[in-house]
Amino acid sequence: MERSTGYWRVALLALPVTVFAVFIVWPLFSSFYYSFTDWNGFNPDYDFVGFTNYAKIITDKLFLNAVINTVIWMLAAILLPTALGLALALLIDSRVPGGALFKSIFYLPICLSAVVVGQIWIWIYQPDWGLLNTVIAQVTGDHPRYAWLAKPDTALGSVIVAWSWQQTGLSMVIFLAGLTSIPGDLLEVCEIEGANVWQRTRIVVIPLLTPATVVVVALSVINSLKGFDILYIMTGGGPFHSSDTLAMHMYNESFKKYLMGYGSAISVVLFLIALTVIRIYFRELRRVDEIYG
Amino acid sequence: MADIELRNVSKHFGEAEIINGVDFKAGHGEFIVFVGPSGCGKSTLLRLITGLDQVSGGQILIGGEDVTRLRPSQRGVAMVFQSYALFPHLSVAENIGFGLRLAKLPKAEIKQRVRETARILRVEDLLDRKPRQLSGGQRQRVAIGRSIIRNPKVFLFDEPLSNLDAALRVLMRLEIARLHKRLGTTMIYVTHDQTEAMTLADRIVVINRGRIEQIGSPINLYDAPANRFVAGFIGSPAMNFVELSRREGDCYLGASDQGADALLPQFTGEAAVLGVRPEHVMLADADMADLRATVEIVEKLGSETMVYLQTKAMDTPLTMRAPPESRLAPGERVSLRFERGHIHVFDHEGATISTR
Repeated sequence: MERSTGYWRVALLALPVTVFAVFIVWPLFSSFYYSFTDWNGFNPDYDFVGFTNYAKIITDKLFLNAVINTVIWMLAAILLPTALGLALALLIDSRVPGGALFKSIFYLPICLSAVVVGQIWIWIYQPDWGLLNTVIAQVTGDHPRYAWLAKPDTALGSVIVAWSWQQTGLSMVIFLAGLTSIPGDLLEVCEIEGANVWQRTRIVVIPLLTPATVVVVALSVINSLKGFDILYIMTGGGPFHSSDTLAMHMYNESFKKYLMGYGSAISVVLFLIALTVIRIYFRELRRVDEIYG
Repeated sequence: MADIELRNVSKHFGEAEIINGVDFKAGHGEFIVFVGPSGCGKSTLLRLITGLDQVSGGQILIGGEDVTRLRPSQRGVAMVFQSYALFPHLSVAENIGFGLRLAKLPKAEIKQRVRETARILRVEDLLDRKPRQLSGGQRQRVAIGRSIIRNPKVFLFDEPLSNLDAALRVLMRLEIARLHKRLGTTMIYVTHDQTEAMTLADRIVVINRGRIEQIGSPINLYDAPANRFVAGFIGSPAMNFVELSRREGDCYLGASDQGADALLPQFTGEAAVLGVRPEHVMLADADMADLRATVEIVEKLGSETMVYLQTKAMDTPLTMRAPPESRLAPGERVSLRFERGHIHVFDHEGATISTR
């Protein structure tokens, strides 16, 4: 009986372990391996070049540009959906009329794929007949015909807005769940002790939403690190690398310039950044768990 | 310090009537305990006084002022919750000084008053800790501290000791009694534990199905219950109830052949219920007995012995409180006598007819 249970365990584990090994572990180690080569992605012959690719990273101005854009992208992609999601959750939780309907409407974009979201916002940003310029024309009386996605000054910001539009619904739902988990008697203490709405929100509600905030931020970090598809659809990293993030830069170097070795080195650096961020996240999670249990 | 008056207070949630026309007044500095079974409406009544729920009808006055439509913070009340309701992210000092911080008092004054309150409640060494690092008793002290620091007119306690273990409950009960003596503030305390009610209260309000059954001092309620519900609820173990029935003109105890005419010579009704507390059931000689019984279970509690007896007069066992040295054993046949002067008679609707 025990022996057959053991076989079943092995059999049931075999498939997920194989999938994990083939699609995660093997590419991970391969990237690390290829980052020390000059492989172009096609030719079976390649040479070991040591730390050349990593040395190139240090001197690569486009890499530095991608790091700066990634930091901007990540900060905005974390802060905007978190702040907007919190604001919407507090508003809906205050029993505003039609709250349930708004909740569904705000959540809807997260159900769409990044490609669809990207396409919707490409239309919104379209210079001649896009919704944004049309609204500006209606308000100001002057049609700007501004190409939001084609100008270096506004390309990244425009994608960030589209990204936030999609991600805010998810943050909002997590914050709403966090709000319902705040014990009612704590809010009643606020009522008895005479806290106004601002004091209650600042001193009690937002700190008590810390566990929800940790989840929202963690998801935002992970999603923003993975945020490649919407950038690819909307700008492709351009114009003039103005919306080039590390993920975009890695893609361009690997699959457009066929510098697979260099692209792998960028991916290793990106992996280390992600690892650091996740380590910080787990440390914070432990601290939050100690307080809120 | 203020008195509290409820005038014809009622509360309903939709069709469900929770509180039905309650009239009640608590004097300055009185310790009032609301007691009753789960779901009787005692906590709802407390929430109406606090202002956390709005009355459906009637008036609430605190210190002579009509507070019925005022917000909780405007009523001058403080409340201690069963769950302690401490903010997990704030330290003990911040929890105690919460109300003062909201009132935007100077930091130095808050610090000084927090220290003073912590000293009274003996938590001054815990001021920097978070609630998670405290025991149940310490948490409840901090919750009380948050209440007393504002010098409220009235303290409201909603089953504050229910989450504590038995030993700690006794200790905290003493602390609350001591605190009341020290502060002299009017206190309303909700509990389903009648021991807490008996030991703490100046007066007990017994509530059942949203109505006040009786108001009185603990001893008054114990000795002269207004009805069968109060008689059964107050006292532990509970009062014994024996049905009285009349057959061919004679009065009998339940279905037994034990006549009750000698026991209750003035009882002339058709049906009623006799009530007698376990400590008023005694062993007696056969010729003096009111009832014959067989010992079923004997519980030796050290300070006393609880004896549960089978009788023909009752479907449930009759309880007798015997001295600790009692040698009664299961299966033994005994003669029992009810102590005169402590026998209660209730009519078929439960109202007390007489106590003799």
